[in-house]
Amino acid sequence: MERTFNITWLILIVLTIITAVFANIGSAYVTSIILGLSFLKIIGVAFFFMELKKANAFWKVLLVAFVALLLIVVWAV
Amino acid sequence: MDNTVKIDYKNIFYPPGGILMWIIIYLELVTFGIALVFMALNARAEPEVFHESRLLLNTGFGAINTVFLLSSGWCMAQSVHFLKAGNFSKSKLFLMFTVFGGFLFLALKSFEYYEKVEAGLTVGYNSFFGYYWMLTLFHVIHVIVGIVILAVLGRTLSKKPETLKVEDYESGAAFWHMCDLIWLLLFPIIYLLF
Repeated sequence: MERTFNITWLILIVLTIITAVFANIGSAYVTSIILGLSFLKIIGVAFFFMELKKANAFWKVLLVAFVALLLIVVWAV
Repeated sequence: MDNTVKIDYKNIFYPPGGILMWIIIYLELVTFGIALVFMALNARAEPEVFHESRLLLNTGFGAINTVFLLSSGWCMAQSVHFLKAGNFSKSKLFLMFTVFGGFLFLALKSFEYYEKVEAGLTVGYNSFFGYYWMLTLFHVIHVIVGIVILAVLGRTLSKKPETLKVEDYESGAAFWHMCDLIWLLLFPIIYLLF
């Protein structure tokens, strides 16, 4: 369990650094990349730190669907 | 600590942290989400204002605060793990680190707010800063409430650990992680996107 937390934390920090780097690079896909990385970080925190991976599928699907929908709407707007 | 009841997390009514806390988490995410969608809609109407205003924010501060909250969340997860294992001293130690991470976040946020106020970038400066102040201050209030909840749990953990229920501790932890989730939505959209 501790190993899972450590690996999750490391991945989240790396994703945060990648997000900050991409934000300063002028790219046509920067918005998609930033929002995609945010999605991964939110799922990482929820599933591993909050242990949502142990929960009923209903709660997992609800969170993944909501966050994905929200970020797609923000991207599309 | 009450270890007599084994929690079946696969039961739809018992997600880790409790069903009431998860209802609150979803309501909070929906509330912040709706505000962010309206912010994106306003940005479409005033793209230059939002872009120039976004450039006035310090993305370094935002990234460092993300690291503070993620590290604090890691400590919280460790604290819950050690509490379940019956190791109260390690659980308390990680809880203290969790709260410390929260205070680091608040300290940097306060400095950022001070800079913005000094520069005259207050809530009425333009629509971007209206959203910036409203959303980030609302999040800061959640962080403060989270620290209070963790302080209460920490007090019980120090004085009467045998009375502390895992469900209650997980609920407090879930509230703290919710602050992470909200920030992980706010940081990229407010600080990086426009």
